Amino acid sequence: MAQVRLSQVRKMYGATMAVHGVDLVIEDGELVVFLGPSGCGKSTTLRMIAGLEAISSGSVEIGTRDVTKLEPKDRNIAMVFQNYALYPHKTIRENLAFGLRMRKMSAPEINQRVNSAAEMLGLTPLLGRKPGQLSGGQMQRVALGRALVREPEVFLLDEPLSNLDAKLRVKMREEIARLQKKVGTSMVYVTHDQVEAMTLADRIVIMQSGHVQQVGAPLEVYDRPANLFVAGFIGSPEMNLIDGRAEGGKFRFNDLSLSLPQGVRADGTPLTFGIRPEHITIGDGPNSQIFRVGVVEQLGAQTLCVGDVGGCQVRVMMDRTDTVSSGTEMTVSFPPQRIHIFAAETGERLGDHTGSEEAEPPRTSKRALETSEEETR
Amino acid sequence: MSSKATFMSFLVIGLLITLTLIAAPVTYAITLSFYSLDSFVGDPEWVGLGNYAKVLASSEFWNALKNGLIYAFATIFLQVVLGIGMALVLNQVFFGRNVVRGLSILPYLLPTVVMVLVFKWMVDGSIGVITAGVEWLGLPPIYWFESPLAAMLSVIMVSVWLWTPFVTTAFLAAMQTVPGSLYEAAKVDGTNAVQRFFHITLPMLKPVLTVIILLRAVWMFNKFDVIWLLTGGGPVGSTEHLAILAYTTAFSQFDIGAGAAIATISFLILSLAVFIYFFFFPLDAE
Ligand SMILES: Nc1ncnc2c1ncn2[C@@H]1O[C@H](COP(=O)(O)OP(=O)(O)O)[C@@H](O)[C@H]1O
Ligand SMILES: [Mg+2]
Repeated sequence: MAQVRLSQVRKMYGATMAVHGVDLVIEDGELVVFLGPSGCGKSTTLRMIAGLEAISSGSVEIGTRDVTKLEPKDRNIAMVFQNYALYPHKTIRENLAFGLRMRKMSAPEINQRVNSAAEMLGLTPLLGRKPGQLSGGQMQRVALGRALVREPEVFLLDEPLSNLDAKLRVKMREEIARLQKKVGTSMVYVTHDQVEAMTLADRIVIMQSGHVQQVGAPLEVYDRPANLFVAGFIGSPEMNLIDGRAEGGKFRFNDLSLSLPQGVRADGTPLTFGIRPEHITIGDGPNSQIFRVGVVEQLGAQTLCVGDVGGCQVRVMMDRTDTVSSGTEMTVSFPPQRIHIFAAETGERLGDHTGSEEAEPPRTSKRALETSEEETR
Repeated sequence: MSSKATFMSFLVIGLLITLTLIAAPVTYAITLSFYSLDSFVGDPEWVGLGNYAKVLASSEFWNALKNGLIYAFATIFLQVVLGIGMALVLNQVFFGRNVVRGLSILPYLLPTVVMVLVFKWMVDGSIGVITAGVEWLGLPPIYWFESPLAAMLSVIMVSVWLWTPFVTTAFLAAMQTVPGSLYEAAKVDGTNAVQRFFHITLPMLKPVLTVIILLRAVWMFNKFDVIWLLTGGGPVGSTEHLAILAYTTAFSQFDIGAGAAIATISFLILSLAVFIYFFFFPLDAE
């Protein structure tokens, strides 16, 4: 178990830079998720931690050791690959034991570790089979088991669930979370699926085009997206984003005039105004406007309406209603504490308001809260 | 209906060609082995298994069988080991790799007779480059085709030189099909390059290797041209194997029946070997 420290880690492929100077500390026992669209450099960063990809510049430390120049086998990491990468000609038992055998561990200890990991993952009846005789979910478990038996300092997982069907994905996600809490080993988990990231992570690292855009606890990045990219990427359906100007303390666009949250002083500058569909309230309130419904999407528990407010297209998520239809007009309001303002030019978040009603202290991770609770007991 | 007719006509044509070109001569040759005849025009005389008895009683036959086995095993072993070694080297990333890959298959592309002549020039007593090299090293001259041992080594060497590229190319192609993530998983699992070869590459390529070895075995056991062109089976029968013995018996000594019997026995031995091989290395294992 150990802290992982990335300092100005860069990756060049020829002249193109795939990863631009990542600085990150993964605390001991923490589950950090790298999240971002395809091609943003998540895998490359993970593989640089693993030692499978040479680090162009910068350094990686695991615990107190600088591992920047070490081979994967000397880094004391274990990895789970997207396609599982199980050895097809070896039995499940041999697959699990292989990494231990290569490290010259004694046979009784290997057996003990393999058996207990198999027990934990429900693989015991499958130990004599070959990977080709397993289902996708079972292969996924073997891949996890192979990492688990190693008892490494860090687990590295690259999109481990993306080859599974939706139902199994949810199940395995819960299983991974449970295992990680149980063994308490640091984990770096790569995914492009924000639901996976939100549900699993102690902290999410959001990446785009090789740059880290924001690092924070799941609710922190949801409540206070650091820039336009994060605002648009996190949350489903997407946050409403409207380009306009600040004039006389108000945000203006077409016929729209909305009061800015406290602390945002940006007179005359181009701004982007953001509010999540689920944060627009129905009925009179601050910043109330007329919303004309265009398209109605029934999602079951909720109803998503796409329509028009003051000449802007806006999505509004409301509790299920069967009475709205195309052409319905209603009053909606935009609570100031739910409003996000970004500088249109840089995309940076403006103002220091929390973006959430709950008075949660900013920049505190879930895990930090958990541990402090435990300590106070 | 018409596509079925097309299919049938191709099938019939194919079968006819196969029958005419392969089945008929084979049947004819096997039939000949039961007759005594000294030319293809005279009247054959039925002798039953007489030719077989005669052949199996001769020391030339057993000598040729022994030589054939030595030649086949030595060339297959060297081709496979060197072929895999070269494939591993050529699979690395280095400058000019594609050129080297292309050049490496050259010996396989040239006609055997050309390669044999090239080798003969290289070991020529007065102008050969190998002869000069041996001299430069201060070693006594090697008489490549004069002593039984040297002659056998020569035919083995030239054969390996000619057909290792086949193994290299087949193995190299097969290596591209192994998923890279397996090697990465093995790296994380703590293996070095040698361990990765024995734990990933070799087991993953076992089916391909099985076929390569089988193909090479059949070819090497029946190989005629290299030996015929290099040594003609000499000196004093030291490189003579069954194919050459069958040929000389039939066409130099004009004992066509005995020659056919030798060829038939050779065919039976090979069939039995292939059968045993597949018993121990089934292709559909796993
Ligand atoms: N071997 C390579 N050679 C050149 N470019 C690469 C290589 N591997 C990845 N890249 C590029 O680096 C960027 C990041 O890739 P990757 O880390 O795989 O993204 P992802 O976030 O989807 O995992 C991509 O633009 C990709 O095209
Ligand atoms: Mg990836």
